[in-house]
Amino acid sequence: MSPIDYLQFVLAPQVVNGLALGVAVVLVALGLTIIFGMLDVINMSHGEFYAIGAYAALALGAAGIGFWFLLVLVPVLMIPLGMAAERLLIRPVFDTKDRHVTTLLVTFGLGLIVEDVLKVIFGANTQRPPTPIPGASEFFGIILPNYRLFLILVGAAIVLGVAFVVYKTRLGAMVRAAAFDRNMAASLGVPVSLVYAGTFAFGVGLAGLAGVLLAPIYSVFPTMGRDFILLAFTVVIVGGMGSIWGAVVAGLLLTQVQALASLVISPVWTDPIVFGTMVAFLVFRPQGLFGRLGHA
Amino acid sequence: MNIIIRLTAAALLAATALSQPAFAQSGPIKIGVVTPLSGTYTPIGQQVRWGLELAAKEINAAGGISGRQVNLLFEDEEANPSVAVQKAEKLLQVEKVDFLTGTVNSGSTLAVAQLAERNAKLAATTVSFADSITTDKCSPNMFRVNARAEQQSVALAAWLAKEKPKAKVFYLGPDYEMGRSTVAAFKSSAEKGGAQSGGEVFAPLDSKDYTQYFGQIRASRPQVVYTSVAGNDTVRLLTQLQDFGLLSGLTVVGASGTVTSQNITAIGAAAEGFATGVGYSPQIDSPENKTFVAAFRAANKTDPDLYGADSYGLLFAYKAAVEKAGSTETDKVREALRGLSWQTPQGTKTIRAGDHQAMQPMYVVRVTKGKFDIIDNVSSESAIGPDACTRF
Repeated sequence: MSPIDYLQFVLAPQVVNGLALGVAVVLVALGLTIIFGMLDVINMSHGEFYAIGAYAALALGAAGIGFWFLLVLVPVLMIPLGMAAERLLIRPVFDTKDRHVTTLLVTFGLGLIVEDVLKVIFGANTQRPPTPIPGASEFFGIILPNYRLFLILVGAAIVLGVAFVVYKTRLGAMVRAAAFDRNMAASLGVPVSLVYAGTFAFGVGLAGLAGVLLAPIYSVFPTMGRDFILLAFTVVIVGGMGSIWGAVVAGLLLTQVQALASLVISPVWTDPIVFGTMVAFLVFRPQGLFGRLGHA
Repeated sequence: MNIIIRLTAAALLAATALSQPAFAQSGPIKIGVVTPLSGTYTPIGQQVRWGLELAAKEINAAGGISGRQVNLLFEDEEANPSVAVQKAEKLLQVEKVDFLTGTVNSGSTLAVAQLAERNAKLAATTVSFADSITTDKCSPNMFRVNARAEQQSVALAAWLAKEKPKAKVFYLGPDYEMGRSTVAAFKSSAEKGGAQSGGEVFAPLDSKDYTQYFGQIRASRPQVVYTSVAGNDTVRLLTQLQDFGLLSGLTVVGASGTVTSQNITAIGAAAEGFATGVGYSPQIDSPENKTFVAAFRAANKTDPDLYGADSYGLLFAYKAAVEKAGSTETDKVREALRGLSWQTPQGTKTIRAGDHQAMQPMYVVRVTKGKFDIIDNVSSESAIGPDACTRF
């Protein structure tokens, strides 16, 4: 193969495709890192909330609601669900001594239940909503589906929007204060309990949004929640638990490593590389690339 | 008091044990079915069950096998070889079944073959594809009535050589035993027919995104892509190929489990034109098959697939063999099954004596407007391949 061919057909598309996958991973990891950073809760059912979002998009889409409206509607519908999950499952075990273990187990159990409930309601077979933006565009010989292009742009907009809310608004400051020192924030008049429930619900809403956006690419089935969750956890750990910029940088970096490594070695070995990076970070730099939100 | 109860119980047990051999030749014939009734392969186990139950009902209504009724005993093997062995052992030891079938996972079939040898009983698979079952790991006690992987690839490769002579083929399989063996089998068949290789990639099972291999596919400019991914993986691979505009002018072919009734709706238009080699299709245009499809549909509200049809056919082979042997004894039935020709919904099948593999005509089917149509067929002699079993 000539070097030009290699660059145009192999290397460049690989980088661009890796970017689209990276955006997908960042979208899933975003809610996870916010819940972990602010609430100190390891939400093992995050993948299943992502699946609920995808199924909601599928069911509501079949009922005739347009994709653009679903982008707003589904996350909004997910918020009460997230609030309820926080109140009924997280809150009762939040103040126990082993918070990490208990919340991990509770959310893990919730995830298993959700997976089976989805199977009972929608059946085990794979389904797929139509691609909202069909067609593909060509840039210098690199073909990229329009929907992936849209996903990259929307993903960037969502990350910027979330970062703006967390870092630049009064609401974000209250949330960060509650995460940093709950008692001090409460004594200064921050409604800590509401902030916690709201933050959890916000993370769940983001998972739902990721579900709506990714369903046309990755299709919808009951166990889809497991797909991204390991990679998303890796991104959260490498990026710095709770750091939004960390999740973005780590998400894009790790998917590029995966995409480019699969050119030279068997694709099966790209997973060990990614998870090996995670282990290395846990050992040598447990705070991750950017350190923890509110605890910097 | 206790001693009396124990003695009575012992006497009763001894009496049943003693009376069993005499009873076994006159009572119902018991067939043990070890098949996945839960887990990923449930839909396959379901078809196996429906096919066997329909055949048993028809055989019993017509007077049974040599005047004896057929009794099916089901156990869930969970598509797991170690579970399959436990359940098969139970059926052989406790239920004293005469014959075993149902295994889906090729590993389960191989394990049950060894168990059948130890217990001096016969078993048959109606589903497992792995060539090893009737080649290097063949067993004198195991029979296979369905088409194995090589028969499927020979049929598909023969059609491909006519449709796209000397095509450049790119191979993409899941990275585990099944994926690597199906790609290797098809590659060797296709290259005998003049195809060239444009490269191969083995992707991890459950890959999210196949686009990371599209650069290699595009650069090699193949006319044909062969894949043996299955389930959700097929949905993603084919729809992503479509999204990236790679499907135009490309012929996609694959293993027979790649596109199925379970994922074809989700794949949608991206499945159009997909072709594969199979041993059965409900579209086979023969009176026997039409009767079978109608009866199957009436009983189960759905069409039979290859697993249902091959399982249905198996009971008639067993019936023919037992009636020819005049007994259910292992050695006599084995002799009767060797070289047996019998009628199935897909036509006459013959069990090759040398390796216990059924010879049958093979079909190439292609998706047109969301349904599989038969577009080509290959005679049973050209599809069967050499006898590679050396144990008997």
